[in-house]
Amino acid sequence: MMDTQRELCTFPLAPNHKLKLSAAGFQTIQDLKGIKPAELCKDTGLSLDDSEGVLNTVNVAEKMHWKSGGRCGLSALDMLHEEQSLPGIITFSERVDRMLGAGVPLCKVTELCGEPGVGKTQFCLQLAVGVQIPEVFGGLHGEAVYIDTEGSFITERLVDIIAATVRHCEHISQKEHNEEFVEHLKSLTVEHLLTGIHYHRCHDYIQLLAIVHLLPAFLKNHPKVKLVVIDSLAAPFQHDFEDFSLRTRILTSVAQNLVKMAAEFKISVVLTNKMTTKLNSSGGDSGAHLVPALGESWGHACTVRVILHWEGNQRMAWLYKSPSQTETTVPYQITTGGIRDIIMEERYQAENAEDETPVKQQKLS
Amino acid sequence: MLVLRVTHLDSFESILTLSNADISRITGLSLAEVQTLKTKVAENVVDITPITALDLHQGRGGDLMQIRKLSTGCAKLDEALRGGILSRGITEISGESASGKTQFCLQLALTVQLPQANGGLQGGVAYICTEDAFPSKRLHQMTQGFMKVHRQTLGSDYRPGDKIFIEHVADYDMLMTCVNQRLPLLLASTCVRLIIVDSVTAVFRGEYAGHELYKRSKHLSSLVTQLLALGSQHNIPVVCINQVSSSMNETGRQLIPALGLAWSNMIMTRIMLSRTNQTITLNDSGVDGRTEATIRQLEVIFAPHLTNVTVLYVIDRDGIKGIT
Repeated sequence: MMDTQRELCTFPLAPNHKLKLSAAGFQTIQDLKGIKPAELCKDTGLSLDDSEGVLNTVNVAEKMHWKSGGRCGLSALDMLHEEQSLPGIITFSERVDRMLGAGVPLCKVTELCGEPGVGKTQFCLQLAVGVQIPEVFGGLHGEAVYIDTEGSFITERLVDIIAATVRHCEHISQKEHNEEFVEHLKSLTVEHLLTGIHYHRCHDYIQLLAIVHLLPAFLKNHPKVKLVVIDSLAAPFQHDFEDFSLRTRILTSVAQNLVKMAAEFKISVVLTNKMTTKLNSSGGDSGAHLVPALGESWGHACTVRVILHWEGNQRMAWLYKSPSQTETTVPYQITTGGIRDIIMEERYQAENAEDETPVKQQKLS
Repeated sequence: MLVLRVTHLDSFESILTLSNADISRITGLSLAEVQTLKTKVAENVVDITPITALDLHQGRGGDLMQIRKLSTGCAKLDEALRGGILSRGITEISGESASGKTQFCLQLALTVQLPQANGGLQGGVAYICTEDAFPSKRLHQMTQGFMKVHRQTLGSDYRPGDKIFIEHVADYDMLMTCVNQRLPLLLASTCVRLIIVDSVTAVFRGEYAGHELYKRSKHLSSLVTQLLALGSQHNIPVVCINQVSSSMNETGRQLIPALGLAWSNMIMTRIMLSRTNQTITLNDSGVDGRTEATIRQLEVIFAPHLTNVTVLYVIDRDGIKGIT
């Protein structure tokens, strides 16, 4: 049954080990069957530790191979099923959720770019609350890690959003008259939702690198965490950064670590970025336009990129880059309760007038 | 440790910015050893365990994590601003000339001296002037009104003027010397709890030619980096005054804060002041005996803790006051 003909050179072994194995006549798994580390050590001239390592690697790789039913890796269909079964983190704006598929996707790095005041931080706060909604209400019942590089994490504002979220869930349970809902509502308090957010204040990029380095260990100990927010990634790299190649190198390695973490722990990573002015080299009609900061190569780092911008007095979210969804633009608004859709129906507005008072919008430079 | 010294990897920075493979190649340590090294370094740079938002909200995060709020000296304005100016990031006050920007800052320079229970931070202010001479006559006038109200809390021989440290600077170099050298010394030796730059525009508007925009944004970023560092080290508010420029668009003329996106990206709160066409009659408390006062408008353009709000206010002899 076991594929005993698999060649040893296909295993993840050090080149010099492979060389010694093949020189001593070990070609396939068959040849290593039942052999002890000490024997292998004598036959190949590898050290005892190394021999043990080689046997372990081969055994582990074989077992995994066996478990997955003899297939190497996953087929595209399996991956499709897996991706479709993964829920996203809801933003409380249905249109933004639909634009992203089903909310902000897990296992992916999502970047939010935008001018100051367009709502990047508000989106982050909203998601940090949204990720904690119990499953019965359509949430993930997770927790969030919030890395704040600017000092813009204001708990008062967070309490506003949490209060609106709790009210929202109360509405649902009142409508449904479901015992299970009532049970879950008990644990859904402002204090409880505040406890579910782990906050890091970070003052410079060295601290940011340290936090990102320590994050996997934290995530291992806190399996409930489903969201990591960095607001903003741009700030530590914007001030006084002379060496641009160093910046690109650090950013790339941060991105790699985050992409790896997102996939390994099945979490969503959300970063915010600023906009910067780019002069058209051709000197075209507009002369200059806005592009996300941190440079051209950073644009490749994130899987999903959303640009938040103003259109007149209207806030818009523009899905700029996504592997699965088409490029679209949808409007949204920021209310006292957080991110919301713009709803025209009067009936709905009257129903929610209390906590959904739209806030006046203002265009910026 | 010896290996690290020999290979010049002697700062936390150099270890954290290099990839594991690079460090392994330079030092000859194994990848597992490099991983342990990096973790140890990272643990030294930051607290290992984050705090929960609940602890933060209830003030259990330590003194530096605690957000302080500086009252504007007027209950109505404080209510609109949810308590006042935050000790986080930079708060920009922008507006056309004569909209009340300096008045607003003078008032903050007084209220900061109040005890925390009264909305102040119980400290002085570093006031950096880049435009005109410091309006000491007007400050004196406001001080009298201020002391009338707060004589009980501060004591009758308290002199608010003693806690206002004024520095005049004329150009970028002087400004940087001031914030890089003089300001840290002042903050270390006296109890200064507020930094005001009036205005940041004067220094950056005139001196740079059209093709020097890159240089300007670099200089702005150096200034902001230093102000932010001082603000977060001492957990005090930093207030910068900015002028406005007008921009033409489809809807007509619109006033926008000056210095462009490079500046806007670096500030946390933007408050805009403007004048309306209406006036209101005051009961003998007008500036210089005038009884008519122009109604002005304060608008929060963006702030992390507020949704956009607008309040009306007037300026009288004692300072700024919100009206309904």
